[in-house]
Amino acid sequence: MSGAPVVLLVDDEVHILSSLRRSLRREGWTLLTADGPDPALALLRSERIDLVVSDQKMPGGSGLALLARARELAPGARRVLLTGWPEMLGQAELARAGIDAVLPKPWEDEDLKETLRRLIQPSG
Amino acid sequence: MSESAPAARILVASAGGGDLVERLRASAAWRLEVFADLSLARSALPGVDAWVVDGGLGREAVLAWVEAARASGGGPGLVVSGEGGDAFALAAFRAGASAVCASTRECPDALDRLLSQARQRRHGLAARTVAPDPFDRITRDIIETMNSAVWVVDSDARIRFANPTAGAIVGMEPAALSDLPVTHFFRDRPREEVPILQAIDHGVRLRGTETVLTRDDGRVVPIGLSCAPWVRPEGGRGAVVIFQDLTEIKQLEQQVLQAEKMASIGQLAAGVAHEINNPMGFIHANLCQLTEYTGDLGRVWEKVEALRKAARAERIDPTALHRAASDFDAVVDEVDAGFLLEDLGKAIRESLDGSERIRAIVQDLRAFSHQDTAERVDTDVNKALDSTANIVWTMMRHSVKLVKDYAEVPPVSAFPVPLKQVFMNLLVNAYQAIEERAALDVEHRGEIRLRTEVADGGVRITVTDNGSGIAPDIVPRIFDPFFTTKEVGVGTGLGLSTSYNLIERHGGRLDVESTPGVGSTFRVWVPIEAPS
Repeated sequence: MSGAPVVLLVDDEVHILSSLRRSLRREGWTLLTADGPDPALALLRSERIDLVVSDQKMPGGSGLALLARARELAPGARRVLLTGWPEMLGQAELARAGIDAVLPKPWEDEDLKETLRRLIQPSG
Repeated sequence: MSESAPAARILVASAGGGDLVERLRASAAWRLEVFADLSLARSALPGVDAWVVDGGLGREAVLAWVEAARASGGGPGLVVSGEGGDAFALAAFRAGASAVCASTRECPDALDRLLSQARQRRHGLAARTVAPDPFDRITRDIIETMNSAVWVVDSDARIRFANPTAGAIVGMEPAALSDLPVTHFFRDRPREEVPILQAIDHGVRLRGTETVLTRDDGRVVPIGLSCAPWVRPEGGRGAVVIFQDLTEIKQLEQQVLQAEKMASIGQLAAGVAHEINNPMGFIHANLCQLTEYTGDLGRVWEKVEALRKAARAERIDPTALHRAASDFDAVVDEVDAGFLLEDLGKAIRESLDGSERIRAIVQDLRAFSHQDTAERVDTDVNKALDSTANIVWTMMRHSVKLVKDYAEVPPVSAFPVPLKQVFMNLLVNAYQAIEERAALDVEHRGEIRLRTEVADGGVRITVTDNGSGIAPDIVPRIFDPFFTTKEVGVGTGLGLSTSYNLIERHGGRLDVESTPGVGSTFRVWVPIEAPS
């Protein structure tokens, strides 16, 4: 499995993590989960990570802030933000954190998978 | 009006003047004194016959001015509330304005009425110099033109005199009221519940008692009533009753309460929506997955069917049977059936957990959509506080720890919805105070403590926060209407004053203790029994 892409899923809601795992289990990726920004940062430091999917609103800090940090810690990792209120985010904010995609919450399984596949295997 | 009659003095305080001044200038029946500055206008108050004030000069300043005008006997007055809204209109009424309208263009009637009152007043005062018996004349003029209803009630509880306003409120000619027993308007109520009879029976003085009277056409009119015992020259005790129609005030009050409720609800909506959206997120995703799972398990079942067919064949073909078993194994592996069966139950349990959370939130939220009950009901304070706290906490759960310390308390006789509204106001304020402090100190860990206990024949509810606290010079003003330190759009300046009034209506108390930089404690106390 060492060659498989590694995806880090971050949400303070463990049931969300569990349902994300369910949706992505057939993709052949290694799935890591973190229930907040702090454990996520620890994983970003210790593991090779190809893609981070993070919730926006978490007790330990915002997803935007986490993804901005991820950009420094793991410049090669793509960044996806999961939020119930996509319209509340400014383009400037998203650009600053270097967000590759924003997904709504609740998400459609197909959208989620397609978006992540596109980011993990650029141009097919 | 004869030529010799002096013109009525009308004082106008307005930032713009314009329209209103133009309209008034057209007549010689009054002398117009226009001010753009309230403090200058105040010095001109003595001797004016009516006044009109533009709410655009500043809400608090205008309210203070209206009170000063009332105190100095400045005649009837109109407040043009502009964009001040219902809450401001209500406060202006309370301060002593005889009429309030959004703009003079919108209600010319109010202005006309004011001007005719001013003329009558000027007449009455002018008459002082010529009438042989000025006292009677002035007294009658005052009583007949005043905005309050007056009844003089004899010792047999029959009305001896009523002024035109009294007639208007009960919908009868004043003369027709003569000799009517006051109980006529308080039908079906025991004697001890009719305030006027209390004054006659026991010689008590009443001020600002709120009650309702029933008109002959069945309409129930809320009134505010003051009543003094009247010792008749010929012996016996009657009463002088003064009352106002509170219908308009009550409607405004209702609107203000509703507006306050909506403002607080608006702040909560985002938190609640987030709290519901999370479980919705995973329930939705799980349902999508379960559809896939059932498809996969359907494929396993097809292979089970094939295998059974091969095993039940009349002449068993070992090769076919073996192939069916291999096919079955292959599909079981492919779809990972063992995992599916295990995870299916887990996905359902997690989704049920999510739907249970949504159900609990909606249950708590329902408490706020209820209209107020008409009567006091036995209210479980712990439950009212808890459901409110759960809802409010949805908007702050990321930054505030909520500590609950509820004692066993008896039910209190109360209006549950206003009570919850007070709790909500206090909780939202506590949260905002914590946010304020956290903005300066990112390390600050917010905490709100809720406590209930039995105290002095009532229940005390304490809301303690470790937010920014309130400066000592501000503490005395925090319960004033329209007083706010929050930014525009964050607070209406009515939350605490509304809360104070709501608790007062329960016969309870609301007070505060605060230390800047440490936090605030708001204490609500409500009696177990409703005060009579």
